Amino acid sequence: MRLRIYVAMGVLLLTGLSGLPVLQAQGQAQEVAPDPHELVEQALDLTRSTSSHAQMSMTISRPSWQRTSSLVAWTRGREDSLIRFTAPAKDAGNALLKQGDKMWTYNPKLNRNIRLPSSMMSQSWAGSDFSYNDLSRSDKYLRHYDLTLQQVTLDDKDANGEQQRVFTIDAVPKEDAPVVWGKERMVIREDFVMLEVTYFDQSMVPVKRLVSLEIGEMGGRTMATAMRMDNLEERDTYTEVRYQDIDFDLPLEDRMFTVFALQSGQTP
Amino acid sequence: MKLLFQLSIRNLCRNKRRNAMLLVAIAVAVAGVNATNTLLRGYQYDMLESAINNLTGHVKVMAEGYVDDPNVKHSFELSSEQLPQLPEGMVVGWADRLRIPAVIMSERETRGIELVGVDPAKEDISFIGEAEIEGEFLQGADDGRVLVGKELARQLQTSVGRRLVLIAQGADGLNRERGYRIAGTFDADGTGLEKNYVFVGLSSLQALLETQAITELSVRVDREEQRLPAKSALRAAFPELQVKDWRELDPQVAEMFKFADASLFIWFFLMMGALTFGLVNSLIAAVMERVKELGMMRALGMQNSTVLVQVVLESIILMTVGVVSGTCVSLLIYWSIADGIDLSAYAEGAEMVGVSSVLQPVLLSEDVFLVAIMSIILGILASFYPAWRVIKIRPLDALRR
Repeated sequence: MRLRIYVAMGVLLLTGLSGLPVLQAQGQAQEVAPDPHELVEQALDLTRSTSSHAQMSMTISRPSWQRTSSLVAWTRGREDSLIRFTAPAKDAGNALLKQGDKMWTYNPKLNRNIRLPSSMMSQSWAGSDFSYNDLSRSDKYLRHYDLTLQQVTLDDKDANGEQQRVFTIDAVPKEDAPVVWGKERMVIREDFVMLEVTYFDQSMVPVKRLVSLEIGEMGGRTMATAMRMDNLEERDTYTEVRYQDIDFDLPLEDRMFTVFALQSGQTP
Repeated sequence: MKLLFQLSIRNLCRNKRRNAMLLVAIAVAVAGVNATNTLLRGYQYDMLESAINNLTGHVKVMAEGYVDDPNVKHSFELSSEQLPQLPEGMVVGWADRLRIPAVIMSERETRGIELVGVDPAKEDISFIGEAEIEGEFLQGADDGRVLVGKELARQLQTSVGRRLVLIAQGADGLNRERGYRIAGTFDADGTGLEKNYVFVGLSSLQALLETQAITELSVRVDREEQRLPAKSALRAAFPELQVKDWRELDPQVAEMFKFADASLFIWFFLMMGALTFGLVNSLIAAVMERVKELGMMRALGMQNSTVLVQVVLESIILMTVGVVSGTCVSLLIYWSIADGIDLSAYAEGAEMVGVSSVLQPVLLSEDVFLVAIMSIILGILASFYPAWRVIKIRPLDALRR
C-alpha cells in the first residue's frame, strides 16, 4: 500500500520534472504485457490486503424465490478468514472459519463446530451459488494453474474521459492439479479490479460466472462493491454480494481466526 | 432270477397305459430336478465367481485392523517381488493392491468411492481384467490416470479423457488431492462395482500418498478347495498379517453358497417325495389286482421273499427306465440353455442379489449320479410297502377272492 503511494509520487515527480518525454515513455510501458501471475495476485489481494473487515449483504435468487441476508467477514492474509451471518434472525450466528486448507462451520442451534470434509468443498455454501471452494481458493490460482494473457482491450471511457486497459487471462489447471474445471477465464482491469471470472467445464462450456456489477471507492480502494455469481446452467439462478463497508489493514488478533472464536461468536 | 425279471417285465407290460403314465411322471420329475440343479449350481458358481472376482480372490493377506478401518495406516510392505512358495500348480495368479476410501469430484458432482491402486498386468485374476473397457486400460503400475465405472462416469457427468479430482488420506493422516485424467470406463456385471471402484496405477497412488506399502495381497487358486492349503502356506509366510479366505471375507456369500448346496437336496426331496406317493399308489394298485394270481403262485410254492423281490424288481425297472429317460431329457434341456438364460429383463433385481444378468447352467456329473441313485433307492423303499401288503394276505384268502 505504502509502496504504491511512493511509486505514484515518484511517477508524479518524474512527469512534473521532465514533462512530455516521460509521458511517451509511459505510453511505451503500457505496450509491455504485464505478467499474468502478478495481475492475478494483485487482483486477489485487492479485496484482502493484509487484513480486512467487511460488512455485506448477500441475495440468493432462484426462479421462484429470493432471499437476502447480511454478513460480516474478516480476512487476514491469503489464508485466514471468518464469515458470520448477522441477519435475518433465522440465519444469524451461522459462521464459517477458514484456516489455511481447513474449514469449519458453526451453527448456533447446534452450538457445535463442524470441520468440513474436503468432499464438501465443492458443494454450495449456505445455499448460495458459491461453493466452499470459491470462498477458500484465493491462492490456488498461483499454484495449480498455468496463466496466459489472452487479450488486452480498453474499457469504456469513465467520467473523466479516461480509459483503462483490461486483461483477459486464461487459467488452465495443470495436468495433475486438484481442479475440476476445464479452464477459468478472468477479466482484470489495469487497476487490478477483477471484472469477471467464468468457470468452464472440460468441454469448455461455461458453467458459472462471477461478474462485478458495480465498481466504486470503498475502504480507500477502487474495487468491485457488488458482484454476482450466475449459474449459467439454470435460468434466473444467481447470488449477489454487495459490500456495505470495508476496512483494510486492521490489526487483527490471532484468536480471531480460531475454532474457539468461531463458536463463541466474539468480535473484536 | 431271470424268470423273475421276465415276470416283472411282463407284469409291467400288462398295464401299459398306467405304467407309461408313471414313467412319464418319473421322467419329468428327474428331468425337472436335474434341470433345476444345473440352474442352482449355475447360480452358486456365478455367485462364487463374482465373490472371488470382486477383488477378493480365494485368499487375501491384509494388515491387522484393515478390515475394520481401511486406511493407509493399516498396510504392509511386500519385501520381495516373489510370492512365498506355494504348492506347485496351485496358484492361478496374485495381485498386490493399495485400496483406500476416497472422494471423487467432477465439475458437477461429488461421490465417495474406493480407490484401488493396481498393477494392471496382475489383475487378470479379478473382474477388472476381463471387464469391457471403453477407452484405454491402465498401461502400467505407474499410470497416473484412472479407470472409472461406466455408471460412476454417468453420475459424475464426465467421460473418457476428462479430468477428475481425487481426495484421499495419506500415510500421515493429511489429505492429498490430485487431478487425474480418465483413461477409460469399465463395464462390470452390476452397477454396484461400477459405482464403487476407481482404479489407478499402484505406484502412482503410492507416490501421491507418500508410501511404499500395499494394503492387500490377493491370491487366486485353481480350485476352490485349494484355498485351505494356500491359506496355511500364506499364514506361515506372513505371520504378522491377517490371512483370510473368501468365505471369511464374504460370509454372506459363503452362507448363500452353502444354502445352495442344501437347497439342491430340499428340492430333490420335494419333487421325489411327491412322486414316491404316486409310485406307491400305482404299485399297490398293480399288486392288488394280481392278488389272486400271486396267491396261486404262492400256493404252488413261490416263497414270500421271491414275491417281494419280484415287486421290488418291478419298481426298480420302472424307476431305472424313468431315471434314464429323465436324465436324457434333462441333458437336452441343459444343452438347449447351455449358453445361459438371459435375465437382463430382470437384471436390476438380479444384480442386487449379486448375480450376473446371464444365468449360465452348470452340469455336474456327481449331481446327476446322485439324483439317479437316490431315485432308485427311493423306488426300492417305496415298493416294500405294496409287497408287504400282498404277502400279508394268506394264499388261501387270496385264492378265494
